[in-house]
Amino acid sequence: MDDVFAQVSVLGASGVLIFAIVVLWRHGVMAYISAFRWQSNVLAALTAAVAYFGHDRDLYWVAALMVVVKGVAIPRLLTRLARRVATSREAEPFVNTATSLVLAGLLILLAHAAARPLLEMSSAPTRAAIPLAIGLLFVSLFVIVSRKKAITQVIGFLMLENAIALLAVLATYGVPLVVELGVFLDAMMGFLVMQIFVYDIHDTFDTVDVDALNRLKH
Amino acid sequence: MHLFLIASLVGPWALGAALAAVVRPYRRWVGWITVGVGAGSAAAAAGLWVLALGGTPAEAGPSHLFRVDALSALVALCVTLVSAMSMALGPGLAADDGNDPRTSRTFRAYGSLFALAMLLAVTLNDVALMWVAIEATTITSALLVPLHRTRASVEASWKYVLIGSVGIALAFAGTVLAYFAFVTVTAARSHTLDWPLLTSVAPALNPGLMRLAFVFLLVGYGTKAGLAPMHTWLPDAHSEAPAPLSAMMSGVLLAVAQYAILRWKLVVDASLGGAAFTDRVLLALGLLSILIGALSLVRQQSYKRLLAYSSIEHSGFICVGLTFGPAGVFASLLHMLNHALAKSTGFLLSGRILARYGTTDVAGVRGLIRTMPVTGTLFAASMLALMGLPPFGLFVSEFLLFRAGFLTGHVWATSAALVLAGIGFVALAAHVLPMIYGAAPAGVARGERGRLTLVPLVVSVVALIVLGLMVPRAIGALLERIAGGMAA
Amino acid sequence: MDVTGIVCEAAQAVLGLALAPGVVGLIRRVKARLQNRRGAPVWQPYAELRKLFGKDMVVSPNASWVFRAAPFVVFGSTLVVYLLVPAFITPLPLNAAADLFALVYLLLLGTFALALGGLDPGSAFGGMGSSREMTIAALSEPAIALAMLSLALGAGSTNLGEIAARTIANPLAALSAGHVFAFAALFIVMLAETGRLPVDNPATHLELTMIHEAMTLEYSGPCLALIEWASWLKLTVFFTLAANLFLPWGLATSLTPAGLAIAAVTTVAKLGVLAVAVAVIETRIAKLRLFRVPELLAVSFVLGLLAVTSSFSVR
Repeated sequence: MDDVFAQVSVLGASGVLIFAIVVLWRHGVMAYISAFRWQSNVLAALTAAVAYFGHDRDLYWVAALMVVVKGVAIPRLLTRLARRVATSREAEPFVNTATSLVLAGLLILLAHAAARPLLEMSSAPTRAAIPLAIGLLFVSLFVIVSRKKAITQVIGFLMLENAIALLAVLATYGVPLVVELGVFLDAMMGFLVMQIFVYDIHDTFDTVDVDALNRLKH
Repeated sequence: MHLFLIASLVGPWALGAALAAVVRPYRRWVGWITVGVGAGSAAAAAGLWVLALGGTPAEAGPSHLFRVDALSALVALCVTLVSAMSMALGPGLAADDGNDPRTSRTFRAYGSLFALAMLLAVTLNDVALMWVAIEATTITSALLVPLHRTRASVEASWKYVLIGSVGIALAFAGTVLAYFAFVTVTAARSHTLDWPLLTSVAPALNPGLMRLAFVFLLVGYGTKAGLAPMHTWLPDAHSEAPAPLSAMMSGVLLAVAQYAILRWKLVVDASLGGAAFTDRVLLALGLLSILIGALSLVRQQSYKRLLAYSSIEHSGFICVGLTFGPAGVFASLLHMLNHALAKSTGFLLSGRILARYGTTDVAGVRGLIRTMPVTGTLFAASMLALMGLPPFGLFVSEFLLFRAGFLTGHVWATSAALVLAGIGFVALAAHVLPMIYGAAPAGVARGERGRLTLVPLVVSVVALIVLGLMVPRAIGALLERIAGGMAA
Repeated sequence: MDVTGIVCEAAQAVLGLALAPGVVGLIRRVKARLQNRRGAPVWQPYAELRKLFGKDMVVSPNASWVFRAAPFVVFGSTLVVYLLVPAFITPLPLNAAADLFALVYLLLLGTFALALGGLDPGSAFGGMGSSREMTIAALSEPAIALAMLSLALGAGSTNLGEIAARTIANPLAALSAGHVFAFAALFIVMLAETGRLPVDNPATHLELTMIHEAMTLEYSGPCLALIEWASWLKLTVFFTLAANLFLPWGLATSLTPAGLAIAAVTTVAKLGVLAVAVAVIETRIAKLRLFRVPELLAVSFVLGLLAVTSSFSVR
């Protein structure tokens, strides 16, 4: 049973990571939102699997909350936002696609190296997937830093939150329920604030290209 | 008694925010109520201070949800004092404010929530709930930065919310890693991970993991504290925000982030069996912040950005001081208190200057002493304080800091900090002195308006002078309790 | 190698050559159906081969011996590769030579020869097709190497028979992340190497879009037949690799009639499924513009990297 658990967790975590790589590959904002939605759903499924194998009923609630908030509500709000403010294609990002993908691969290698102490410490069946969670963290940071459109940066940030949720699920079978609720609330509020700001940027600057935000230097 | 004090520290802010949200259209008495809330909260903080002097931390709530020990009491007092001042000088109190009701209402509501979040962060016992509160501070303050919607403020608020949220997310990753270490050792998933429990289990936690966790935590909370190289949001956000908000952000939000860093440092030191690793990392980032802060002061054109970069520099000082042993911790916390008073006064005064002169350029402000005598004097005083001159409190705390540095053998680091402090001093003086003297530009009215609002600022400057002449026993005892018992 | 071995390999070669046009026919038929057309019957490629073998060749006066030799090199190398792939039985009589990297480079030999053949007559289309083809081949090299490496790490050897045996013995390993990623990487590389959409359209003859077709434009008659047959066989090779390295159940481990019958049926079924999958993908995804192909291959590179790290960390 433990073996199956291990395989399922690695497979699930890999699936979650794949969608972040898809964001680096595709060029349209709608594709990014789609990738984020799929990523959140896969993460919720993995959380439910961990709940089943790890005998932790609280995680079922967390998985359900994830589907509702990150799989449905946030993508819907993002789609509405994208229709209002974005052109359909991301401008050429700061780092071109092929280089980004190779860099992402290297970041994942780096994550495997960085996660070594975690692997040695843990005896949970899910430990093999922990480097993938750290890899997703690095890749999301890279997405935020290398993209030009504000809305893509928001999606990168949402993926960063997914990465940390994934880490929590894999390493400690989730954090106490109270904390999870607080985190979800914060995530939702943070997203709403960012959404408000993207509308603001669009209204004030007539574009959501963060390159235009260059008045404040030094 | 504990419950009453903690409830009156935190509760009124929630009520104030609710009131501001509900009363439409905005009425001035709502503003006055928030001022009263601030004063009451400050009194409660003082009460908690007295309790903390006694030695036992105040605890309240189910399973000790709230816990106010000496360190929490110190930061809580800073937060309440500065928030009360900001509420007193914020939009929506005077009739001839120039602010429309919607702006005033937004400020009162979100400002109260902001203060509430900061107080929750320092009084909550659970490490993850503290994180939730600090994230809430980012959200509530970010909504206030673009209060006056301009291109610059929208840009500043975007950078703030994005970089701040990313930083906070990384801090959560660090928290998860620490929780992971905790769970592998205790093999029991407790429902709260509070500071006393974590500190007691710390020596058994895996050192490699705690090192990794500390890196994430330092990068995350360091972003909120304005440490370089994660500081890029700070000059923009603090300069574009309305003055009362900048006072709260620069004065006490940085202090709350430094509080989080100090708490985690103590835990990680206990688990690593020594402060060598955390000291090294903290020293590196702190010195980098002092360097960038001091050097950036040289070529500034806006006095608000001057204050912001000064905050980065002082945040660096505080973090560097934390690595100088118990004497250093004493000096850092004293510096935190002094800086909170001085910076908030500086920003609030800059708000008045902006309202009169209509420009944030240093070159556009001349002859303050003639056009606004009281404001000009107070501004000069707070700037002299920030430069680290006697007879103000920051001189004492910086002196103690450098002394602790030399005494613990960090000769190179302390010398570098000294030199940079000198550079910062010269830069600030070069920018500020022309502002005070000289001929006032044409078209600037003379005389003070709204004299009543100057009273808290005068009190604040007087407090700075008092702190500069001596360290009052009440404060000294508290700081010693923190430094000696390491926030027991 | 004894007589049974020779017979087995010969039988495998004959079966492979016989199946390859059928696979392509199936792909074309499914694509046509999905596009709401009737489409040519599944045995159309056989008819094409028969037609081409009966025709005369027209050779450009600028062509040299390279042009004449290329089709044989391509056909020969692809056939040798098919002889090494575990299509129906494992381990194969020639298993000692069935090394993953040898396979990759034999296939590359074929591509190289074809590219030279396209360059040789000096026509514009040929040169253009050859340069595009070599770009894609060069970019897919790292991806395929990493995918192969991850499989080898999982099985502890680069021998195809070993890999298949290891997976048969340990069914759960088929679900492992390393396998899944390696499969995905290999799939993308297969689409690139065999000239399928979204990398190259096998049915186009427009200058802007053709890669493989451009290289073979100058060929005619039996030489063209050989080249086309070789490219279909290459597709079958990739399908067989994908099916029998990752999901090797059904392969006959001993030479019993029952085992061989089961192997034949399962392999044909797997080929059919893969053919339908490719047809569906070709219908759903638009052809990538040429400068976007490196991005797709970079994705397969990252997948390969993920496969290697996953296989490595699970050991």
